[in-house]
This record gives sequence, structure tokens and C-alpha cells, in this order.
Amino acid sequence: MNAIFIDNKKYEVKDIPQDTPVLWVFRDHLNLTGTKFGCGLGMCGACTVMLDNQAIRSCQTPLSDAIGKNITTIENKEDKELNSLRVAWREYDVAQCGYCQGGQLVNAAGLLKANSKPNEQEIKDAMQGNICRCGTYNKILTAVSSVVKG
Amino acid sequence: MTLNRREFIKNSALVSASFVIGFNLPTKGMAAKVEKKKEVIEPNAFIKIEPDNKITFYLGQVEMGQGAYTGIAMCIADELDAKWEEIIFEPAPVKDVFNIPGMPMMLTGGSMSIKTQQQRVRQVGATLRYMLKTAAAKKWQVRTYDVTTKDSFVINKRTKEKLSYGSLIGDIQDMKIPQDVKLKEKNEFNLMGKRVKRHPIEVEEKITGTAKFGIDVRLDDMKYACLVQPRVFGAKIKSFDDSKAKNMPGVLKIKQLPNQKIAVIADYWYQAKKASEAIKVVWDNGDFEKISNDDLIKIHEDYLNKEDLPVMKKDGDVSKAFDEAFKTVEAQYYFPYLAHAPMEPLNCTVHHKGNKAFMSVGGQFQTLYRATCAKLLGLKPEDVEYYNNYLGSSFGRRANPSADFVIDAVYVASNESWPVQTLWTREDDIKMGYFRPMTVDKAKMSVNKDGKITAFKATVVNQSLVKGTPFEGFMFKDGIDATQREGLESHPYNIPSHDLKSFCPDLPISTLWLRSVGHTTSAPVVENIVDQAAIASGIDPIDFRIKNMNNPRYIKLLENVAKQSNWYNREKNSGYGVAIAESFGSIVAYVIKIKVENNDYKVQNVWAAVDCGTAINPLGIENQIEGCVNFTMGYIKSAQITFKNGAVQQNNFYDYEVNRITDAPDNIKVEIINSGEKMGGIGEVGVPPMFAAIINALYDATGKRYTNFPIKLG
Repeated sequence: MNAIFIDNKKYEVKDIPQDTPVLWVFRDHLNLTGTKFGCGLGMCGACTVMLDNQAIRSCQTPLSDAIGKNITTIENKEDKELNSLRVAWREYDVAQCGYCQGGQLVNAAGLLKANSKPNEQEIKDAMQGNICRCGTYNKILTAVSSVVKG
Repeated sequence: MTLNRREFIKNSALVSASFVIGFNLPTKGMAAKVEKKKEVIEPNAFIKIEPDNKITFYLGQVEMGQGAYTGIAMCIADELDAKWEEIIFEPAPVKDVFNIPGMPMMLTGGSMSIKTQQQRVRQVGATLRYMLKTAAAKKWQVRTYDVTTKDSFVINKRTKEKLSYGSLIGDIQDMKIPQDVKLKEKNEFNLMGKRVKRHPIEVEEKITGTAKFGIDVRLDDMKYACLVQPRVFGAKIKSFDDSKAKNMPGVLKIKQLPNQKIAVIADYWYQAKKASEAIKVVWDNGDFEKISNDDLIKIHEDYLNKEDLPVMKKDGDVSKAFDEAFKTVEAQYYFPYLAHAPMEPLNCTVHHKGNKAFMSVGGQFQTLYRATCAKLLGLKPEDVEYYNNYLGSSFGRRANPSADFVIDAVYVASNESWPVQTLWTREDDIKMGYFRPMTVDKAKMSVNKDGKITAFKATVVNQSLVKGTPFEGFMFKDGIDATQREGLESHPYNIPSHDLKSFCPDLPISTLWLRSVGHTTSAPVVENIVDQAAIASGIDPIDFRIKNMNNPRYIKLLENVAKQSNWYNREKNSGYGVAIAESFGSIVAYVIKIKVENNDYKVQNVWAAVDCGTAINPLGIENQIEGCVNFTMGYIKSAQITFKNGAVQQNNFYDYEVNRITDAPDNIKVEIINSGEKMGGIGEVGVPPMFAAIINALYDATGKRYTNFPIKLG
């Protein structure tokens, strides 16, 4: 099989070198630019996507690891956790420049899939790999906590 | 705020160009004319109304997180009574009509977006609403008094009939544009002064990954470039070997640029990056290779100890005051070079099409960047089509008068058939400069027996931000960079004697303004030396400040944060620090509470009071203050640029440690005081007093003055 599934859509990727990080498969090969490049080392979280419902850093994940798997990006409009988080992101007016927010949302969705009732410390631990240079952290924490509380 | 009618009339040729759209407006004469050739014309205006009632605002101020789009749009929409949720934003093209009033260019910086634009955009909105009302009244044959407006419709008060704005554009196209249209009174505002969330369309784009930043530009047949950049400042390319790189997959072209960089153009950026790593360069690193951080500190400190430096302010008799002082305090301060590290790595996309060009970027200097592109390609500015995208934050990095990342991209795309997106790596961003300069200060202050400050002496040494740039002419005078004066010369205290000096050493390290500019260092110096003077005098730091100032705006803010934080009954076993600073026309006071534990410290509470004159969007202000607090925390605790052998030692976010969610204060509370004074800015103003409050809080907690940034305990 030479395909990956991004946001429930199948993409043939046989012509793309298997060691290409999936971040660049999305962005440059497939022109899916919602997922962002921030550092290229997995240090900032801007490129976070879910691979079979697990949050990963797409700049550190070669295409070969994603073959045949389901990838959820910030462009996914159907993911349950992402949509709950989006409601909170609107409510608490979280985003500023917005560049990191896709990674923040997907990372938080990955957390909620693994642990639907994280406490505040667990939220901070899970989100500490996602940098926001605008400093929206207090709002992020409030927004994620509000989803946990339901 | 009074309406400057004279200016409006004077500018009517420009401003009238923005009243109505879907058709073009004349630049001369007072009547609008239909642009027959195209259905939707190239905008020459602030507002476009289309027949289907779609309303578009063209915004010359760029959006980089600071909320300029929302704030300015609130002003227009309120006066126009346009349906808020449905307004569409478009970045304005480069045209003089969008210049900052009184300046020869479009720019976004100095926290000036809303304060400089609000008056004229309100006028445009109000005038257009008046015209729409007049047209509807005429149709219904009623007095304009009998019609009202709401959510992009004119409503007949008697019959409740409605006409959409879009249905009236044919009726206003030949209408004489009225002058002196009255703006809304405060009690008529629907948006201004209210807590308004970021515009819903922008939010939706930013939470679904559809917001387009410069890095997201995709054009037909577009190629990507990665650069090999020098690591030692001032280094030159002696030779390079690209024999391996040029045969790597996807590589289309490798070329040396005129600015000592090498570009690899490839089908995809990752291929270009891989190939760039395979290029072997022999550098001529020059003399700067011998320089390391200690040398740089020494260069700065040597000047710091000289007396014959350029004088910023000298009055009274400082020596006499020091001789007669009840108490004197003095301290030295060190601030490192800092990289802005905006979240979106630097990039710019250029397509050189012979005698025309297209560029698409996220930048704070539209006019300058377009002119730079035109100049390098030998074109006229108007032959370069410029598009401005969202900025994935900036903090000043995309407001570079030297236009570095734009120049790279223009050189790369010059004489190529493809459009090329040039994208820096994060390592290039951290290592290649345009830094907040290293700054070394010393300060001394004296107090008399009555607890009054008698003298203030300070020296600041840092590289100029503007020397060698287009800003030098009006920002560098008599050996002093205007940014060195910020906050130092203009402190709020009543002091009879000053001796303020500064010096700008020349070094090959490139420098640039970082969010709040000179205030990043002046606020901690002033607000810490004042704190030390208070404590030496045995007076409470807030009382001491109030005792030594007259301005009621400052006093009100200090009283506010004292009350919010329960200052006079502070909790034991915590450290409290206060600071206040004015920047960009607004004043911010903080009391912060910190906890020191295991040789580390954590900010638990921030109580803020803000006076920006009049708050257009209190929620936006809260968001900016919270953001400023967190942004500054990273620079307080960990981030710094240091040098070894002429090159930056840090590489990426693993050794250039910016703030993370775990560093965020537990609680940030913001109160806004509407003094009604002249409107100030907001985007940067939360930064300066945060740098200061931390030193004072750490002293309260530990009894030690930590004046070297970043502050590590132990």
C-alpha cells in the first residue's frame, strides 16, 4: 500500500521519498498548509498532527511511518475532540497571531483522546511541548480545562 | 476626542476615495463614479460594499496577533452600523491612502495601529452611513431623521421597511460626499469600548488551519529555496563546493547571492534544505571570529565607565546631590542580545516576471518592502504587486528597515522563471541576528531625608538600532539613538538633577527593535533603582513612588494595583514586586507575586492596571497584557543569545528557551482605567514593567538584587 489517509481522505504517496517528514508531505507535496513548520526538531509543537489518534510531531515523522495510517490535522472538521476544543477556543478568545494554534488544538485533542479527564497539571504537562510566542497560555489552559469540565 | 474637520477636508481627496466601492472613486472632485470596466475593481478604498450586501474592509495595518484588524474594524463597523459577524477583511495594497497619517509609508509598529487609524476610519464609516441613510430616505421620501441603520440595513422607522446597504450603492455613486459628518457619541457605540472577541472570521481561519500566513503562499509552478547563511557576523564566502548538493533529488539551481548567502532552489523545501546541508563553504570569517561574549561585555563595560560620553540629559547638580544625600543607591545591569524568534520562520515569496514582479509576504513595512523588491529588480515600485498575509507573530522581527529576509527572497527569485518561496530555518532565525542589542547600564540615585529623590545618574551602552538604516536621519542624533532615550529620559519621577549619558558602540552584530524597544531595558533600570531607593529610605515602594511623582494617571494605577494585590497586607513567604512604566502613550502598572523554591522561581500572580486613554476593546487589551507577561517571562528566565568565536552559540528552541505553558503565571488580572487622555498603544506596553517587577519581587523574596538577565538564582 502506498497511501496515507489525511482527514479521512486518501492520498497516493508512492512518488514521494519515504524519508520525507510528513509535515513536508502535507505542506509542499499535497499543498495542505494548515499544519505549520516551527522548528524542524520537534521542539515547538507547531506541526502537531494525530497519527491513529495519537498526537505526534509531523516534522519528526517520516512518511514511511504513516503509510496506511489515519492522520488527523487541524483542517479536520469532523473530529469530536477538536470540535469541542474549537468551541472553547472561540468562547475564551484564545488565538492571537494564530500560527501555533493548530498545533495547540491538535495536541490538546490528542490529550483528550488519551485521557478525557486530565487535571490541570496533566494538561500543562501535555501542552508544555507546544510553544506560543504570543503567550496565550493562560487562555489555552482555561479553554482546555473548560472542555474537560464539560 | 474631537474630530479634526480641517484635516478631513484637506485629505478628502484621499479619504473620499474610500467611501463607496464596487466602483472606483475619483481622487479629484467630490462625486463618485462607476468603474465600468470591471465588476469588482482594484480597491482604492477602505470599504467595499457589493450589491449582495457583502462588506469588505481594506486594512493597511497588518495582523500579527495584536488584534489590529479587529480593533480597527470595530471602529469602522460601529460608525457604519455594519453587521459585525459578516464583515470581510482584506489586506490593503500598497497605496499612499493607507499610510500612517503624517508618515510617508504604510507600517505597523510602535503600538500605533488603532490610535493612528481610529479617527479617520470612523470618519469614513460615519460618512458612508450618512450617505446610505440619505439615499434610503430619498427613496422612501421621508426625512433622514426618520431612517435608522442596523446590521448593514437602512430601516424606515415608521414603516419598518428595510433596504440593504448593497441595494443602495447605485443611489450613492453620484452623491456629493458630505463633509463634517458627525461621529457617534459614546452612548451610541455598539462595539467601541465593549469587550469584543477577535473577529469570528479570523478566529475560524485560525482554528481550522485555513488562515494564510506568508509561509502558506502557494503559486502555480512555485519552487522553494533554503539558504546557506554565514554563522560569524561579517563573514564572506571564499569558495564553496556544491558538487554533491547539485545532484541531490529535486535540486533545480544553486546560486550565490550578492549578500554572502547561497541559495538552493528545489521542487520542495525539504529537498532544498537537505541539499543546503551538503554544500561545503570555505568562509573568510574576518576579525570578528576572535570575539566571544566576554569580549562583547568588556567592550560595553569599557564605555560604561567613561565620563565623556554623549549627554542625553543634564540638569541640576548631580554631584552636590550625591554629596548631600541621605541615601544613595547604585547598580549595574546586564541585558543580553535577544532573538525575536517569531513562531512562523521568516519567509518571502517573489515572482520576477520581467518588467513586473509579484511578492507575497507577512511584513510590517509594506511600502519599504515593495520598494526594496523594486529597487533590486530595477523596477518601479508600482510595477511590483505586493500582497500582505497574516504574520505568524513578529515582535518587530518583520519590521526590519534593512529588509533582510525580503532581500534574500528577491535575490533568489531574480531572473528566475518560477515564483520562489525563500524560507529560513529556525537555526537561521536564532543565529543570524537582527537582535535586541546587548545593553549594559549603570544607575545611581540619591534621596534626601524627606524621602524625595534628589538626583538620577545613568549610563546606557548598546548598539544603535537605526544607524545605517533609512531611520538613521531622524532617529540618531548627536551620538544618541532615540531608542536609548525611551523610558530613561521620560521617567515619571520629580527629580531636580539628572546626568544621563549613552553610547552606541559599532559592532558587526545586526540589531533590531524587539517588542517595546528601548523600554525593554530602561524600565527595569528606572523601576529597580527607584525600588532600591525606596527600600534604602525605609519607605514602602508604592508609597515612595507616589511621593515622588505628580501625574495623577500614574498615581491612580499604583493605587489600583496596591488595592488589587492587597499590597499593604502582603502574604508572608512570598515575594512581591511593583513596577510602572509608560510606553507608546499608555501606562501599565504591575504588582507581581512570586514563589522561590528549589533555586527556582515562579510567578503566581500578576495584577495589572492599564491606562491607554480610552480603551477601544477592553478584551483585546487584556489579551495583549496577558500575552506580554508570558512573552516577557521567557526573556526573564532563560532566553539569551551569546557569542563564541564570532558566532551565536544557541541553535533552536532546545537551547534558546522561550516561555512555555509551565512558566505562565497562575493568575493574571487586568484592570483598565479609562482616563480619557490621548489614546495610547497596547501591543507592546505590557512588556516593560514586567522586566522590572521581577527584579523587585526577587529582592523581596530573597534579599538579593538580580540585575543580570536572564535571571537564574543561586
